[in-house]
Amino acid sequence: MNSIDPRVHQALDGEIPREALPPALRRVAERLESAAALLAAAPEGRSVADRVLARLHRHAHSPVRRLARWLTAPHPVTLRIRPVWSLALAASLVLLMLLPEERSTPVLGEHEGIAQFVARFPGAHSVQVVGSFNDWRTGTIPLEDRDGDGVWRAVVVLPAGAHEYMFVVDDERWVPDYSANRFVEDDFGRENSVLIVRPVKG
Amino acid sequence: MRVALLLACVAAPLAGQSVRSRLEGRVPAAAIPVVDSLVQAAGREGLPTEPLVGKALEGGAKHVVPALIVSAVETRLDQLRSARALLVRGGDAPPATPAEVATVSGALRRGLPPPVVERVVGALPNEPRESALHAIADLVAHRLDADSSASLVIDAIHAGLRGGRLLDVSHAVLEEQQRGRTWAESFARVRDELPDVPPAPKPGEGTVQRARRPSSVSKAPTPP
Repeated sequence: MNSIDPRVHQALDGEIPREALPPALRRVAERLESAAALLAAAPEGRSVADRVLARLHRHAHSPVRRLARWLTAPHPVTLRIRPVWSLALAASLVLLMLLPEERSTPVLGEHEGIAQFVARFPGAHSVQVVGSFNDWRTGTIPLEDRDGDGVWRAVVVLPAGAHEYMFVVDDERWVPDYSANRFVEDDFGRENSVLIVRPVKG
Repeated sequence: MRVALLLACVAAPLAGQSVRSRLEGRVPAAAIPVVDSLVQAAGREGLPTEPLVGKALEGGAKHVVPALIVSAVETRLDQLRSARALLVRGGDAPPATPAEVATVSGALRRGLPPPVVERVVGALPNEPRESALHAIADLVAHRLDADSSASLVIDAIHAGLRGGRLLDVSHAVLEEQQRGRTWAESFARVRDELPDVPPAPKPGEGTVQRARRPSSVSKAPTPP
């Protein structure tokens, strides 16, 4: 521990004038006076230890703040890229941009074709098509009326050949497709519509 | 021979079980044993069974009474027997394949006169006639002359068209007619162009469903 020169004590106690001190001791006396003034100005109830800890807490940041500071601070990055990969990446991006966003065109088998069902049922709540292609089971091929104009549509992939079918309206009414132009007796006293599906890759 | 007999003994009950499981819950219980026995009989005769099962399922879906379902399945079985007899008359060696029997039966149901079917069978002794008969039946359904329709399709086969492309022939005739030509003009025009008939267009973009034979059981609506 450094000892304070007795002349500094004397000067601080007013026993000798401050000017009687050599310049070095005068600066020591001024620093001591300044420290005493600081201590005297400290709020009541807070010790020196409290103030030191408070100062330390002010400097200690939370992990989130440290991470935020790391993220926002500039860091040097070195990127080593081969030109050939850069070109391939650019070409892939261009290809992705050229492809349409959504394509639901199905991949058809050799003996498959597309059947388009269109029926006008204004006011209907649901329309579906049932036939030999789905074992006459309801709930498998619904028609849609997206714009609410009463015209219901469905596009379905079916095996090529002839299929018998009917529409089921509102889950209860069985109706032939009058636009089919082809009908066959169903042996139950009604007629089924007949659809001819041409293979797309035929 | 012993292996074949063993396989037949094992396969027949399995097929029967499969038919029953397809019918249960979808066809009135009272109709199932009779339909099942008719299906077994068809199988034993070498006839296709799927048209019979399909007819029973159709009746069940339409909530038809059991007696009517059984009657319709019996009618279908008779039609299949007649179709096979016609195939044999047309020159096929018995027994005709189940697929050919089903095809001919379907063509007869759709109104093709038996002599025309016999003529097609005779003209195509070594080829599947399914698409040819579908194409002719399609033209006949639009009230075209059956003999002229058969002649055109047979000409298309001689020009090299096969399979599903024969359906493009009947489609081309119907398109010519829609353009305002007479039937005779439409026939002549398509015949002149053979084998160049427009193929079916590729599917466009949009929502396309795929028909599946579902396995789950659902309640069928009641027809009026």
